[in-house]
Amino acid sequence: MHIAVLAKVVPDYEVPSMDFELSNNRAHERFSRMLGLYDENAIETGIQLKGKTSSSLTIISYGLESDIQFLRKGVAMGADKLVLVKGTSDDAGIIAQNLKQAIDNLEDVDLILAGQQSADMDRGVVPGILAQMLGTAFIPQVGYIDYKNGDWTVSQMTATGQRELEFQGPGVLSITSIPENVPRIPAVRAIFAAKKKPVIKLNGIEQGKMPLQEISVEIPKIESVCEFIDAQDPNEAVKSLLTRLSEERYI
Amino acid sequence: MAARIPYWNINYGVIIDLLAIPVILIFLYGLYLQWQGIKKGRLRVIPSITSMFQGIGTFHPAAFFVKGILNAKIYRRPASGIAHGCLFWGMVTLFVGTNLVILNIVFGLPVFNGAFNRWFMAFLLDLAGLLVLIGVVFFLLRRLFMPERLKMPEARKGFVLVGSLLGFVIITGFVMEGARLSAGNLETGAFVGNFFASSIIGKANALQIHTMTWWVHGLLALFFIAYIPFSPLVHIILAPVNCGFADPSPGVKMGVMDFSAFDDEDAEELPALGADKLSDFTRKRFLDFSSCLWCGRCQEVCPAHNTEKPLSPKGVIVTMAQKLNNTEMDETVIDSMSMEAIFNCTTCAACMEVCPVSINQPKTIMRFRQNLVMEQGQIPELMGKAVSSLEQRSHPFFGTPSGAAEWRKDLEVPVFEPGKTQYLLWIGCSITYEQRAWNIGRAMVNILQKANVSFGILEDSRCTGDPAKQMGNEFLFAEIAQQNIEDFSSLGIQKIITMCPHCYNSFTRHYPKLGGEYEVIPHAAFIKMLIDEGKLNLDTKKTGGRITYHDPCYLGRRNGLYEDPRKVISCVGNLVEMSRNKNESFCCGGGGGNYWAEETGTRINQERAREALDTNADTIAVACPFCLLMLTDGVKKYTEDTRAFDIAEIVDKFLKDIPET
Repeated sequence: MHIAVLAKVVPDYEVPSMDFELSNNRAHERFSRMLGLYDENAIETGIQLKGKTSSSLTIISYGLESDIQFLRKGVAMGADKLVLVKGTSDDAGIIAQNLKQAIDNLEDVDLILAGQQSADMDRGVVPGILAQMLGTAFIPQVGYIDYKNGDWTVSQMTATGQRELEFQGPGVLSITSIPENVPRIPAVRAIFAAKKKPVIKLNGIEQGKMPLQEISVEIPKIESVCEFIDAQDPNEAVKSLLTRLSEERYI
Repeated sequence: MAARIPYWNINYGVIIDLLAIPVILIFLYGLYLQWQGIKKGRLRVIPSITSMFQGIGTFHPAAFFVKGILNAKIYRRPASGIAHGCLFWGMVTLFVGTNLVILNIVFGLPVFNGAFNRWFMAFLLDLAGLLVLIGVVFFLLRRLFMPERLKMPEARKGFVLVGSLLGFVIITGFVMEGARLSAGNLETGAFVGNFFASSIIGKANALQIHTMTWWVHGLLALFFIAYIPFSPLVHIILAPVNCGFADPSPGVKMGVMDFSAFDDEDAEELPALGADKLSDFTRKRFLDFSSCLWCGRCQEVCPAHNTEKPLSPKGVIVTMAQKLNNTEMDETVIDSMSMEAIFNCTTCAACMEVCPVSINQPKTIMRFRQNLVMEQGQIPELMGKAVSSLEQRSHPFFGTPSGAAEWRKDLEVPVFEPGKTQYLLWIGCSITYEQRAWNIGRAMVNILQKANVSFGILEDSRCTGDPAKQMGNEFLFAEIAQQNIEDFSSLGIQKIITMCPHCYNSFTRHYPKLGGEYEVIPHAAFIKMLIDEGKLNLDTKKTGGRITYHDPCYLGRRNGLYEDPRKVISCVGNLVEMSRNKNESFCCGGGGGNYWAEETGTRINQERAREALDTNADTIAVACPFCLLMLTDGVKKYTEDTRAFDIAEIVDKFLKDIPET
């Protein structure tokens, strides 16, 4: 069995809002780059599944050659090889098309895992588009996965509860964060071994573009406005606070 | 009075002398077996010896003598210290006396004549015997009514037998002496012998009693000597040796690791990272395990053990000693201790500071931690997030809402300029990313500017890598440190003022081994220097009130800096000491990466905060941002007031402008 995990290298997703700034409508280059938050959960899920099903695991990414150094962390976590499709597009259609190319190139992929959403664009649409292109099942927000006699059983974790689903054959699952898939810290031996594992580089294609144009990108401005509420009488202060919050439509 | 005659009233007494030969051989064989066990440990890499702590190879004669022979640390507990002193020095005196008797027999050395006989052979040896007996009774009673530290998690067996044996040796010696004196004349100075002779042993049976007890005493003494290497008393030999081979510089001394073999295609064998089995440890650690008396002083001062956490430093060493005793060399040991316990250690070094036989408990614990993290990828979740953040963002404060430059918002802070700036002011990660700690950096900048010091900070925020090291990730530490060293070289940085003792410890202990040698001074010591040089105009009316000082483990126990911060505090307020201070200080709970721990049991910072507030101090002074953050939080349990402040904040508050002349 062959499992593929889609991973994206993104700018630091924890940059405090006060520090955040744009450059060419994207996060500034000065921010550290790293594996996406949910992508690490997906890789961890894949590695656990690899252990259970004696599978091989490939990480597939669409991005820059300079991303390889960060993707190696995923390899060090326990993947067997890395496929990088070179490209810079942010278009979900193009990204999905490029990822499909990599999967087709691998020929024998049985299951595709991806993070629930990327940590930079936060769209969560690429896995769905990819599944449609591949003609396979797509299940978002998956927590637990089990494989028995050719059947995949998955638990979809939503804010309101949990849903059990079953399917056969290849599928694309986007993985959410659960306590069981907290990404492992790679062992030092694995970090060094990851440097020697194969990296397949594919040239990207410009197909599948979605019919839309980006007009502008804005980030919230940080404003600090302080208003004191008279707290001589705590009951009155609470009432005043609730009134103000209500007036400003915070509650 | 006639001199004592060898073998008086004894036939074939030479048998005892002849038996001494196999006894000595058995004694030496026992030591040889101990060596065979210790020898199974790995040869340690010989560290370079600094001029401050000169030694012969890795052996330190001064430590051997002061800690090993004079037992300097054992007297910190007066009762057991004095009892041990009675026993040890009494036995040393008796050993000398016995050898003088042998010299008398073999070479006719006149030891039984005149004042020497009266004061040494009679009085002093009687006194020594009595002291040994007092010591034996004390320790036997303590075995009967064992304190918690001896019992938990397990008491070492064998003390009662060997103690009783020694007691019988001494008592039979006194009875024999009493019988000899009763049969002859009382002897001036032999006050115990005279007592036995005049009060207990009648003249009628004196000769028979003397003969009988002479043989019993002799045989028991020989058996006792032969038994020493097979009993807990082997520490007579092992403990001084262990003290001698322990690096006497303060702190845990983890050293740095070389990872080059992992990159070397031709490397035949990759080194084990950390330890998960006995055979991963060095001979020095094996000596630690063999020397341990299981006295439990370490766990008594351990902040984790004191706050109901699963770690017991004694338990760790006892487990290792048992594995060594059973020669379980290649069985995994980590499984017999919980991962939680291994990560509970705050690396405060209180255990090794108090250990009378110089065991380095934290090093053993840290070696397990290194193995868990670097070989097995196992680490508690929050610590794992901190390590990941350190790897990804070069700081461990994951999820921080603070930007790297927020601490210096609206403050003019010079950036280090190569060739122009004298000191690098190393801010460190906690001051950069924890809002409560921002003010420490701001206060220090103000102090340095008022004192006209040439200083600058780095443009981007940095970490020394210490949190990674303390959490067991030596690899990440080495990567961060090497990057810093490279950057420091390109900037020509030579002098560094550190704001955090953890950074100070890294720069002074670990960076030099990676090629980064700098003149480093902690901010508390630098402020003291500025005050001494008259560069700061302080309001010295002592209006700061009562101030207690919490010794950060990485400044105090690990680097011996106790007085400078106290002198600074004394300039502005009245210093009051907590019950546990200086080298006996109690950790804030944040060390060893435990700043990122979900604590079980009582919170260590609350325990320390209570101790600080018990002094009725108005202010709790610290000289470490991590301690400040931990104690700020700890104090909240008892009061809503902000009580904990860094020394820089306190001094800044009392700074006055120097009048222009």
